[in-house]
Amino acid sequence: MTIAPERLSVQRVADVVSALRSVLRDDQILTSKPDRYNRARVPAPFPVHRWAERVPDLAVLPESTEDVAAVVRLANDLRVPVVPRDGGTGLTDGAVPLRGGIVVDVKRMNKIHELDLDNRTVTVGTGISMLKLNEQLARHGLFYPDDPASYPCSLVGGRIGTSGWSLIGSRYGHTRDLVLSFDHVLPTGEIMHVGDGIGRKITKSSSGYQLKHLFMGHQGTLGIATRATLKLFPKPEAELSPFWAFDNYDDAYACVGALARAGVATFAGAVLFDEYKVAYLRRDDEAYIPQPGDVRALVCAAMYGYEDEVRPAGKRLFRIAKEHRARYLGDEISEGDWAARHDRYATPLHGRTKAGQVVPMSWHCEDAAINYTNLPAVTREWHAIVADLRRKTDVFDDWGMFAYTNSVTGADYLTEIDVGIWEQHLDDAAWELWVKAKRDLAAVSLRYDGSISACHGSCREGEVDLVPEELGRGFQVMLDLKRTLDPNNIMNPGKYLLDRAYAENGGDR
Amino acid sequence: MKDVDGPEHSPSYPYRYAEQYSPPEPARVSDVAITTFEHVYEVDPRLMQRWVLQQTFPNWDSLRIMASRQDHLDWMHRHFANTVVNGSVLLAEVEAEDEANPPSTAAPQQEAPR
Repeated sequence: MTIAPERLSVQRVADVVSALRSVLRDDQILTSKPDRYNRARVPAPFPVHRWAERVPDLAVLPESTEDVAAVVRLANDLRVPVVPRDGGTGLTDGAVPLRGGIVVDVKRMNKIHELDLDNRTVTVGTGISMLKLNEQLARHGLFYPDDPASYPCSLVGGRIGTSGWSLIGSRYGHTRDLVLSFDHVLPTGEIMHVGDGIGRKITKSSSGYQLKHLFMGHQGTLGIATRATLKLFPKPEAELSPFWAFDNYDDAYACVGALARAGVATFAGAVLFDEYKVAYLRRDDEAYIPQPGDVRALVCAAMYGYEDEVRPAGKRLFRIAKEHRARYLGDEISEGDWAARHDRYATPLHGRTKAGQVVPMSWHCEDAAINYTNLPAVTREWHAIVADLRRKTDVFDDWGMFAYTNSVTGADYLTEIDVGIWEQHLDDAAWELWVKAKRDLAAVSLRYDGSISACHGSCREGEVDLVPEELGRGFQVMLDLKRTLDPNNIMNPGKYLLDRAYAENGGDR
Repeated sequence: MKDVDGPEHSPSYPYRYAEQYSPPEPARVSDVAITTFEHVYEVDPRLMQRWVLQQTFPNWDSLRIMASRQDHLDWMHRHFANTVVNGSVLLAEVEAEDEANPPSTAAPQQEAPR
């Protein structure tokens, strides 16, 4: 599926800018080429020669909910696409404009509005990063534990729009659990407060429909979150992150399951690294290059809490690992590797041709939610799909797979395959191969009763084709909701096959 | 300034170009990697001859990159928790307890059979 960009004419852009000047200052309206191109950039690889298709016509820098509402109202009146952009770290192109229009960059809405020490909440502008927020919270011994692999650079609003997944979510919950409520600008420009009930700081309500989840994870297709109230925890006193090596995948797989099922209260997550991931690390990661050849799979666990909780619970996990023939990798690797997991976007990347030569590659991470019992089969089938790609071209390199516990009980895992993509050589033919591979990867997930995405969202080319299959009747409900809330299809158009909502009704698009 | 740590740690140490571009003799650590300074690994130069060419770094820059990497990881630890529990200490305690009370008679840690 290739979406042809529909650009605004030069005159139309001038008219939009002129209209925006009635609601924003000049310095909040950006039209230069660098301003626009910088806001078309996301981490997921895409053919270089087609980047111009994804550039907005202009960008705006609102400073308040009212600014955002005014821009969206105006865009709705003028029928101009609006694309919300937070950190731009998403891996399913949520922040990428497919039809040009106005990018609403929320980075100036980065204030801490209220810190409620008694109710343990903080209310922030959605343009703040978790890192900067936690620097302020640490002064009060508090912590907001939403911890994606893009922790230093992703923003609270993007986490809402993606319904993000947190590395330590098995202990503290994921974004949907941590965001209590938020102000939200609907596609018509109306402002709505959404949460559990109407309260800002309520953690559980049974009043009315549970709308909070609907307005999380929509990838910007249902509006823009502008101010959020978040749940806070004490800053952990102690952290433990042991890494263990195994001489075979089966023992590591059994071990990660046992660790997750142990029911330890301070357990924040466990990760299984398969043989392909170990082989990748062994060629390029200083921690693993010197490891002996019999290291073929890895498991790590993370624990957070008070020291007198973490120490005895940690010993329990060490016993479980020992029963599964694990070898502790040592403090330096364990502590260093875990610390690096909070910031994977800073990692310089390169891959190998089949002849072994180093080539510059970008990182693509394909994810799914898979039950524990299906991990081995999905792992085998996913590697077979990427191996088939690599046989055809050096553009792709298999960087191995991770499986992270999705929750504290170990029922299912965020399952990821990392694929290096040689972006400079990603021509149309290679891109088509990749889109087909993404579709095939998603099909495997569904065949094993999984979900296409646990973490990133599923609105990129390839996987999005299978979203109607995954959701069944629920996809028609998505279309109905989209048409009702966004009657003119201005909010991030072209995503999630939602254009079908309008085509079926004889709409404009 | 008293030169207690040797000349390489003194801010007044002069920059000598030839020294900076003479890293320790590389040693092979795997089929695809070599090492120079302790903990400094490099891709085998034979694998960087066509698409990506290796750059020459002065010694101070290689060491700075390694040190700043460690600074970054230390910062992350402090950011997420006040202290880090060393797994090696827990493992030593587990081993000592198992030695004193072998696992067959110790309290079971495994989950119930499924």
